[in-house]
Formats: sequence, C-alpha cells, structure tokens
Amino acid sequence: MKTFYTFVLLVVAFATQAQQTISGTVLDEKNKPIAGANIFIEGTYDGASSDDNGRFTFTSTATGNQVLVISFLTYETLKVTIDVANGQNKTFKLKESVNSLDAVIVTAGTFDAGEKARVSVLKPLDIVTTAGAMGDIVSALQTLPGTQTVGEDGRLFVRGGEADETQTFVDGIRVAQPYGATTANVPTRGRFSPFLFSGMSFSTGGYSAEYGEALSSVLLLNTQDEATEEKTDISLMTVGLGLANTQKWGNNSLSFNTAYINLEPYQKVFPQRADWNKPFQSLSGEAVYRHSFDSGMFKLYAAFEASQFDINSETINSPDKIRVDLNNNNFYLNSSYKANFGSQWQLFSGLSYGYSENKIGISLDDVANTEHASHLKLKLKKSFSDRVKLSFGSDYFITRFNEDFKANSGGNFNSGYDANIAAFYAETDIFFSKKFAVKLGARLSDNDLLRETVIAPRASLAYKISQNGQFSFAYGSFTQAPRQEYLKYADYLESEKAQHYILNYQYSKDRRTFRAEVYLKSYQDLVKFDTPTVQFNSDFSNSGSGYAQGLDVFWRDNKSVKNLEYWVSYSYIDTQRNYRNFTAEVTPSFVAKHSLSVVSKWWINKLKSQLSVTNSFTTGRPFNNPNESQFMNGSTKGYNNLSLGWAYLMTQQKILYFSVSNVLGTANVFGYEYANTPNTDGVYNRRAIRPTADQFFFVGFFWTISENKKDNQLNNL
Amino acid sequence: MTKIITIIALLVSSVLSAQTPYEQGMTKALGLWREGKSKEASDVMERIASAEKSNWLPNYYVAMINTTEAFNPANKSNATALLEKAQQAQDAATVISPNNAELLVMQAMIYTAMIVQDPMVNGMKYSPKVMELYTKAKIIAPENPRVVYCKAEFEISGAQWTGADVKKLCLDLESAIPLFEKFVPESPFHPKWGLDRAQQALKNCK
Repeated sequence: MKTFYTFVLLVVAFATQAQQTISGTVLDEKNKPIAGANIFIEGTYDGASSDDNGRFTFTSTATGNQVLVISFLTYETLKVTIDVANGQNKTFKLKESVNSLDAVIVTAGTFDAGEKARVSVLKPLDIVTTAGAMGDIVSALQTLPGTQTVGEDGRLFVRGGEADETQTFVDGIRVAQPYGATTANVPTRGRFSPFLFSGMSFSTGGYSAEYGEALSSVLLLNTQDEATEEKTDISLMTVGLGLANTQKWGNNSLSFNTAYINLEPYQKVFPQRADWNKPFQSLSGEAVYRHSFDSGMFKLYAAFEASQFDINSETINSPDKIRVDLNNNNFYLNSSYKANFGSQWQLFSGLSYGYSENKIGISLDDVANTEHASHLKLKLKKSFSDRVKLSFGSDYFITRFNEDFKANSGGNFNSGYDANIAAFYAETDIFFSKKFAVKLGARLSDNDLLRETVIAPRASLAYKISQNGQFSFAYGSFTQAPRQEYLKYADYLESEKAQHYILNYQYSKDRRTFRAEVYLKSYQDLVKFDTPTVQFNSDFSNSGSGYAQGLDVFWRDNKSVKNLEYWVSYSYIDTQRNYRNFTAEVTPSFVAKHSLSVVSKWWINKLKSQLSVTNSFTTGRPFNNPNESQFMNGSTKGYNNLSLGWAYLMTQQKILYFSVSNVLGTANVFGYEYANTPNTDGVYNRRAIRPTADQFFFVGFFWTISENKKDNQLNNL
Repeated sequence: MTKIITIIALLVSSVLSAQTPYEQGMTKALGLWREGKSKEASDVMERIASAEKSNWLPNYYVAMINTTEAFNPANKSNATALLEKAQQAQDAATVISPNNAELLVMQAMIYTAMIVQDPMVNGMKYSPKVMELYTKAKIIAPENPRVVYCKAEFEISGAQWTGADVKKLCLDLESAIPLFEKFVPESPFHPKWGLDRAQQALKNCK
C-alpha cells in the first residue's frame, strides 16, 4: 500500500510538472485574429496551431525561460522568450512580411526586368525576342514609355534629355563608353550583348542616390551570378558569326561570347542609301569570370571591340561627299566583389576601366582621340531589420581625354582634360508597413576639374491603395558634368542640373500590368555656346535652361490570349530647352510629342514558332528652317516602323530566325539638313536625313550544344 | 495488490515509451498529411524540426508538403509564400545532410514548381538547374526510384513543349518501376513515395 501511495504521489508530481499550459492569442497588426499560425517552444515537440479566433493552448514539460516561436505564411516569424510558468493568456502580434510578394515597392521612374523584379515590366527574354530590336538592349528599351525613337542616332533619349544624360552601369559600375563609335546620321548600338545579363533596371528618372553623373536616366545591367550549365552556342548570321561558351568548375565559372560582324556581303545584296567605301565591321568579345565564396561573390567582366567603317557622307554644304573613315578600339574591364559579413552587413566594392581610341579621317583631316575612364566604388549596406535598411558608399570617377586634330592644310590642334569626381552618398529604406515605404538619400559630389561641390537630395515613397494598385512619388536633384565635346575646350563650366518630380500609379494583377506616370523635370545651368558648331574658341556658359513634362502609359498583358504576350507604350511629352547655340527656348529636334509602341509575341505551337510584331509610331519632330524667321519651327511628318520577327525551333537546340524591319517600307524622314548659306535665289537648300536603308533583313541560325537538351538560344534572338 | 499496480504501471509506461516522441510526432504528422490536413502536418513537422536539429527528415517533409501545396492550382495566390517556406526548410535540411539524393530531388521539385508558376520568366532560369540537380542525384544514387522517375517526368514535360520524341524518355520512366519495388527505405519515415505517380505517368506515356 505504501508503494501505491508513493506511486500516486510520483504520478501526481510528474503530472503537475508536465502539465504546464501555454496559451494565448495571435493577432495581426490590426488586432484581427490569425487562424492557423504555428506556435511552439523552440527545441521541443510542444506546440499548437491557432484556431479561428487566433487562440491556441498546449501543454509543455519545458520549464523556465523558453523561446516561443510563432510563424505564419506571409508574416514575419516572431520569436519571444517567455517564462513557461507565466505563459498563459498572452497576446502576440505578427507583422506582415514586407518581403512578401504583395508588399509595396517603390516604382516611380523605374522599369525592372529580370528575376529579382517583383513586377517585371520587361523580361530578359523580351530584349531579344522583340521584333526590330535585333538583339540590341537599347532598341528593346525604346519600346518603353519615356524614351524617344531617334532613328538616325540609335542611343537612348529619355524624357526630353540628350542621349548622354543616360548613364549605363554594369553590376553597379559605370560604363563610360556604352555605345559603339559612329558618325553623324549612322545609328549606333549598345555595346553589350544581352547574352551575359540576367537582370536589368531602367530608370527614367528619380533614381537612387547611389547613382550620379546622370541628368535623365540610368540603365543598370547585372551580369548573371552563376552559370547554369556548360554549353556552347554557335550563331551564323547574314551579318556575321558568333561563338559563346560557358565552363563551370568548382566554385568558378567562365563565360565568353565573341562575334565577328561584317555588313559588306549584306550590303552587296541589299543596296543602301548611304554610300559606303567599307561597310561596318567589328570583332568583339566579352567574358565573365565568377567565383563564389561561402558568403560572397567575385566577378570579373571584360569586353573588347575593334570596329571600323568608311563612308562618304552627303552634305548639303558641298557638292562632294565627305569621306569619314573611322577606326575604334574599345576595352572595358569591370571587377566587383560582394560579401556578407557580421550581422546583416553587406559589402560591395568594384572598379572599372574603360579605354576608347578613335582614329577618324574626315576628308583629308585626321582626328585621333583617346579616353581613359575609371570608376572606383565602395558600398556598404546594413539591414537593421526587414523594415529598415541603410546603405552608404563612395564613388571615384577618373576621366582622361586627349584629342589631336591634324588639318590637311597644316597645323595641329590638341585638346583634352583630366577630371576627377569624388562622391559620397547615403540612403535609407524604411517600410512603415506592408503598404507604405519611403526611401531617403543624398549624394555629395566634388569635381576637381570644375572646382565644384554639389549636393543632391533624393526621396521617394510608395503607398499601396489596394490589393493590386499603388502610388509612388519620387523627387530628386541630379547633376552631371558637361559633356566631353564642351569640356575639352572649357574647364571653366559648371555641372548641368535637373530636378525630377514623378508621380506613378501601378496596377498589377496576374500577368497584367498597367502603369501611368506623370512627371515634371526642370533643367538649370545647361551649357550654351555662341558659334554655329562647337569650336575651341567658342564662348561657353552655363546660361541655358529648360523643362520637360509629360505622361507615360504602359500596359502589358500576358494573360488574355493564350500564348500571346503584348505590351503597349504611349508617351506624351511637352519639352523645351534653350541650350547649345539655340536662339530661343524651343523643343529640340530629337523630341516627338507623341510616341506609341505596340509589341507582341505569339507562340504558335503547331509551327514551333514564335512570331513577333512590333510597331513604333511617333508624331513629327521639329527642325529648324533658316528660310523661316521663327527658330525651330518646322516639323517632319510622322515616323512609323512595323517590324516582324519569326523564330522557328527546328529541333530543341536549333533555331532559325528571320526578321524584317519596316515591312511597310514607310519612307521615314528624321529631319533636314539646311545649307549654311542661301543659294543665289536667297533660299537655304535642304537635304532630308533618312535611314541608311529603309528596311533591314536578317536571317540567322542558332545552335546550342549542351547536356541539357532543352536549352537553346531563343533568349538571345 | 502492489504487484498488480507495479505491473499496470510498468505496462502503461512501456506502452508510452514504445514510441519515442520523434516517432509519435512523425506518425502524427504523416497521418495528418494523409488526411489532407497539410497545414497542420507542416506545422507538426516544423515543430519536430525544431527539436531534432540533426535530422533532415522533418525539414524534408516541410519542404515536401509546402511544395506539393504550391503545385495545387487552388493555392496560386499563395504559391510564392509556400515555395519560400519550402526553400527555407530545404536549405536547413541540406545543411544537415549535404549530397543527399532525396534532397536533390526535393530541390528540383521546388524549382519545377517555380517554373510552373511562371514558365516564361522561370523556365529559362530553372530548367537547366533542375537538369543539373537530377544529373547530380543520378550520380549519387542511380538506383533511387524517385531520381529516375522525376528526371524522366521532367524531361517528358519539356519534350511535350518542343514536340521532341518521348519514346526514350518513356523507357527511362518504365525503368523506375522495378526500382520502386526494390527500394528499401532506411526507416518507416524515410521517403518512399512515387510508385503510384510513376505508374500513372507511364500510362500517359503509352
């Protein structure tokens, strides 16, 4: 009997010790109960799920202070230390995770493409499957609102800004010479093949304080973090050959991509409007080496391009054509190192070096110039929590430019400059809730050539008004040193300045995205000069100014029709500026008031083909007619280009690709060149500036060799 | 009397201790999952994972359950969050047991679910990764039926898109069936699923 009592006592004692109850309620930020949250004591089996009222109760044998874990999908996991003995009727509040897919994002001004983007306006694939883009990143971006189609130039013109107001960055580091060398009225292309990039962010204004020396826009290209597999890609095209290969070993991978382009055979078959002595040819290569560490990544990107052409340019000022013979060598190196350390710190450091050498023969005169441009960057980022992040860093830009002009008539002229820009910036990201986020920053930069220090504040905020819709607002002050063309003659200038105000609305639901953006941009301190062209003896000043305002609309739909994706971009812009040698504040010649692009891609399963159709339309652009008294009063007729592309999957790894630009053969006119002096009747003669050819045909065969038999180059077309 | 009580006490305690808490928990969680209560099953597995820091299985099941849920079209709005949860558990399991063929298959399934979510964006990115994982898994465990079956099924789904010949792939799939019969799981809780799904897939193949 005694044993019995002992046993009972023991059981009771054991039971009382074991039966410690933990109970409480799980609520969200609005004090609404969360049903189905998982509550448990870390390191034990003891736990429960909350009921419909957010209530839970369970017993535990654990004693003393324990960590209670409360987790629920799309909410931040909460860990609290509790004393088990007092763990009854507690209330726990979970915060919605700001990392979740439907959290607010700051979108004003920015188009993101790539895997990291939550709302992708463009996908990496789009760059290359857009008819008319011909694999050129820049051409694909010209189908987005806020950009201008300037067919005779080929570069990115954003919201009334000149092409050089856009800076390009690869892995966060500046690319000083992002475009191939060219001459007047022969359009250029971006130097980068889309092949090695996995993500892209294109900002048409109001961008982060991390980026400077850009008045209008930044284009951020990110190389792939890892190679997915070993493979070889072979391309045979009517315009040249390409070879790419990727190797992986251990924590390393190396990709390279080379291309030889020669337009001569093509131009023999399809006569050109332009008179070429030697059509464009280039040899180019890019390589990326990546090494991953346990908590870091090192990347080295290098690209070179040697190109040449020889053209007889027409001009209204001379009965003879002017021969331009251009040789360009370009080298670009970019290395970066990214690592996580300590408690939620991230370090990024990188440097780039760009070298460009041009030898240009213009009639009998010779111009030779070289540019060395480097960028050093250090950036630190600290996450205090999911909700508060701080980043700060510094940039150092070094530019050395030198030009020799040798006139046939005798005489040498040398010009050039050395400019160093040091900049510091700091920026913080704060999520007040899943619905409201703010980004605040400032950038301080000092240009030693211009002996100038400027501070540029930036701010943006985003507020989510409904499940799928949100508003963003961005403000920023931006500065940029005057362009090479002016700086080489005048180091007494100041930086040009712009202020951006952007209001954006975005609605995104299930593979459909709508965006509308209104903006106002004001320009100050634009460079003016007093001669017909830029000359060493021009009198330069920062007395110019201007503005741009407008509306950009974007609609993308990948859902409504099966296998069909399309997007529509519309831009309205009202802009005027008084700069260069303008006599009044007018709309510059590269601006069309209305632009409309429709891009569509249709996968036809039966034919194993993707058909892509792109139509770009712009209203007329202004030009100056010296026969009229009013400056810049002319207007060209509208521009239209309908392009088709057809990719046929012969086998899983072999693709045949055809494309034609300007199918309708529209006779587009970009503008007019007027004679410097009137003819005997007192009239200034003119010559239309037209594309070098109205249409462009392209046929290519692309073959991928890899272990994974499904891979192909569809994404490179 | 004392004897009887002692016997009863011993009996009771032996019944209680016949299953360790781990076994109890796993049995309960797998039972819940079979009943279709995947949320509860995942919760229990998560708790077991917090107690069994050196066992990859509970995390494997957290990944498995949430990935399976993500494949369900009814969960489309939640799919990304489910896959994020699956990936976290998968990462924890991989730390405990690297180079585990079952976990490589699991990772491949998570990526496959991502491809299903948005084929245009994720297809190009994850397809080669999935193939790499299956290739690696096949080197580690060539006789594992899930490796053989899942690899074949993934390749067949891709071949249907491009219209390539699936005959050889169907043979691969068929070769998985006897492997399922031969397969002996290390414990009652180790993965052993797949035979019925493989047979179903094979039917569609012919």
